Amino acid sequence: MAGPRRAAVLALAAALLIGACAPAPGTPGAAVGGGPVRGGTVIFALWQEPTTLAPLYINQTVGTVVGNVVNEGLIRTDADGSYVPQLAKTLPTLENGGVKLSSDGKKMSVTYELLPGLKWSDGQPVTSADVKFTWETWMRDPKVVNRAGFMDIEAIDTPNETTAVVNYRTIYAAYALNFQSVLPRHVLENEADISKSSYNRMPIGTGPFKITDFRSGNSITAERNENYRVKDKPYLDRVIFKSVPDSKVAIAQLKAGEVQGMWNLLESETRDVENEASIKVFADPGPSVERIELNTARNQDQTDPNSVHPVLGDVAVRRALLHATPIPQIIDKILFNKVRPASSPVSQGWASPKDVKQEGYDPNKANDELEGAGWRKGADGVRAKNGVRAALTITTTTGNQARERIEQVLIDAYKAVGIDLRIQNQPSSVLLSGSWASGDPRKRGSFDLVMYASSPGIDPHTVVSQRYHSKNVPSVANGGVGQNYTRFKDAEADKAIDEAGATLDQQKRKDAYARALARLNDAVAIIWMYERADIDAHLADLFGWKNNPWQEVTSNIEDWYLKK
Amino acid sequence: MGRYVARRLIQAIPLLLGISVVSFAILRAVPGGPLSAYEGNPYVTDADLARLEQAFGLDQPLHLQYLSWLGRFVTGDWGYSLVSHQPVLALIGERLPNTLYLMGSVFVVTVVLSLPIGVLTATRQYSVFDHVVTGTTFAFLSTPTFWLGLLLIIVFGLQLRLFPLGGIATPGTPFDLADRVRHLVLPVTTIALVQLGSHVRYLRSSMLETLGQEYLRTAHAKGLADRVVVARHALKNAALPYVTVVALDIPELFVGALVTEQIFGWPGMGRLFWDSATRSDYPVLMGILAVSSALIVLANLAADVFYGYLDPRIRYS
Repeated sequence: MAGPRRAAVLALAAALLIGACAPAPGTPGAAVGGGPVRGGTVIFALWQEPTTLAPLYINQTVGTVVGNVVNEGLIRTDADGSYVPQLAKTLPTLENGGVKLSSDGKKMSVTYELLPGLKWSDGQPVTSADVKFTWETWMRDPKVVNRAGFMDIEAIDTPNETTAVVNYRTIYAAYALNFQSVLPRHVLENEADISKSSYNRMPIGTGPFKITDFRSGNSITAERNENYRVKDKPYLDRVIFKSVPDSKVAIAQLKAGEVQGMWNLLESETRDVENEASIKVFADPGPSVERIELNTARNQDQTDPNSVHPVLGDVAVRRALLHATPIPQIIDKILFNKVRPASSPVSQGWASPKDVKQEGYDPNKANDELEGAGWRKGADGVRAKNGVRAALTITTTTGNQARERIEQVLIDAYKAVGIDLRIQNQPSSVLLSGSWASGDPRKRGSFDLVMYASSPGIDPHTVVSQRYHSKNVPSVANGGVGQNYTRFKDAEADKAIDEAGATLDQQKRKDAYARALARLNDAVAIIWMYERADIDAHLADLFGWKNNPWQEVTSNIEDWYLKK
Repeated sequence: MGRYVARRLIQAIPLLLGISVVSFAILRAVPGGPLSAYEGNPYVTDADLARLEQAFGLDQPLHLQYLSWLGRFVTGDWGYSLVSHQPVLALIGERLPNTLYLMGSVFVVTVVLSLPIGVLTATRQYSVFDHVVTGTTFAFLSTPTFWLGLLLIIVFGLQLRLFPLGGIATPGTPFDLADRVRHLVLPVTTIALVQLGSHVRYLRSSMLETLGQEYLRTAHAKGLADRVVVARHALKNAALPYVTVVALDIPELFVGALVTEQIFGWPGMGRLFWDSATRSDYPVLMGILAVSSALIVLANLAADVFYGYLDPRIRYS
């Protein structure tokens, strides 16, 4: 029973010891009985289907899960959130001269040296012209998902085959994440419309595998890329991504041994597989944070950003709600302790502010807070002040079991401190549409409490600025632009966010974000619930998995191997 | 007869146009839309959304979008998926054989089983066999497929390990007939059990009605064997309503079984429709809806024509 698990622990210990002498992070090192084995096929269950594998059109997590085996970028993100070169020789920085600022300090250029001898999976060489072509395509093709970073590029110079100099017209702090994939010029340059080409399903890349078969709704087969740059890798001959209708079926197939691995279990599903000796479950905190956002402006459609919510406008009520929210119980009873409590939206990575705290569960404090602010209990047990009842609604996505159970817990917990809570859920296509025109209640301001999850990305600037800067409160006046849904307005926070965006100094940026997020927590505009876990599972005879909160589970698929 | 068919076909044109207008309007009335998948991405700006809206032609007025779809559709250009960027015809072509294979097997199984069972329950009315069949078919008729499918998966797949839990074949293996059949058993059983109920009920009641007719007593009086009376004289007349039921199953051969394909992870048309619906992939949905509505109209016509063959008293004019 405990065999494979104990062996894995020993293997980990061995890997750590060996890792201390041989600086080879990422390689699985010595595993059970003498290292990795070559060969074999892994069938991996996906309960969503990738619609396209072309990096410029991928807009689904599952698209990246499969795309990872083919598509690679210049720089990637390591598990600890640091940037490491992938197709580039080194990470360009100010210190090593790879990043240069213009004399007036308003522009910058980044020089990438490609690894020597790189080849696409069809054997053609990878050159700096491919890097330039990637930028050009991203700017030309009207169907690309977004142009973040590429928009800020003025020109790319290619002084030789392996050097690309990217000239930005501004200071672009998140430059390292700009080229997360490189497109093959020789394959695509003559395509009038790449979206209609075979590249969508059979992309040519530099990754450890190449796609050899794509059957929609059925399976996607990836075979070893003989031109992969790392000798003797990948270990596996083949990976087959099998399409299954939902995560419960994937779990059943994993138990039955029909598949060797699966992607994305819900926290509440882990109990189902944890006790199986043949299965290993990986639960690691991901960057996504589940939160309850409190509307400080009046709850009405197209709300006035300067109005004040009759109940939630009072910071004492917001603080009381925080104290009345039994986060520890929720984590224990509903999420089976598979997640960690959160205290800010940036839970991981270099920018994560470890000193920014959130106060804990304390219903007595909640009662004191409300009494002190003049909210008195009426005959029905609900507090009121100046004729305003403390009656609120909570909105989350319909059909999400864990969220619906949390709502039930909150109704009881808030009732105990004299706050009436009612459920007003909406389908995620409406609630999370993020669109003013589609009537997203967060955009329009027509909610009291809204519970959902969001991830900041490894460079948090876009998200922190979009969500917590006062200039980004969506309103009729600005045409609904911005994601500051709580209508949190704080001059100190604005100043800190602006400072963070104007410098390349990572420590300064980190301190500035911490200041802004501390102000946000002081105002209790958001109750941080927990860090959503990234949970994947595989059979115990599959080795080499490594979790990385910034990349999908397949990001080190070249290191996977099977062993009986 | 030829003129009748031609007239019915011409009449079908405005009907199909009307259906396409209504489908188009309903699809667009659903909140969300194909861009909502992008709106959840924090890196997608409002400018990106406006660009995508234009690239997909969603910024045009609705009636123009409909007319341009229709114009291209009738010339054979069914458009491209807004999500996977694949041609709609190719997407359908990829899924159709799988659905024909599944639903064709169901069709054969239900027809082959329902004919003898329906006839036997009628000729042996109130026998133990009749009671058992009637009870069982009623039970399955009122069973939702999603429940039955999951039950079969749990019992025969998970616990007894007799059949695979889903999919059309074991991935990564060369074609193997036995493997194909093993994958086919549970989904076919799920759909067939439910469909069998209705088919048997229809046949049984119309057989009972026919068996009470005077002309059958005449046939018996002529000294014809029971078998001949039932097979030649009763069944042919009783089959009329049954033919309607069977003919109306034909569109399903193409459309597939939405719920069952979803439960069993079957790469067919039903799942294509479901996935496209959840992503508001309008061109794909319109393509499937257009074909299925055309097939329903044609199947009705086929049933009417077949009536004439079964019952020469019916004349077309």
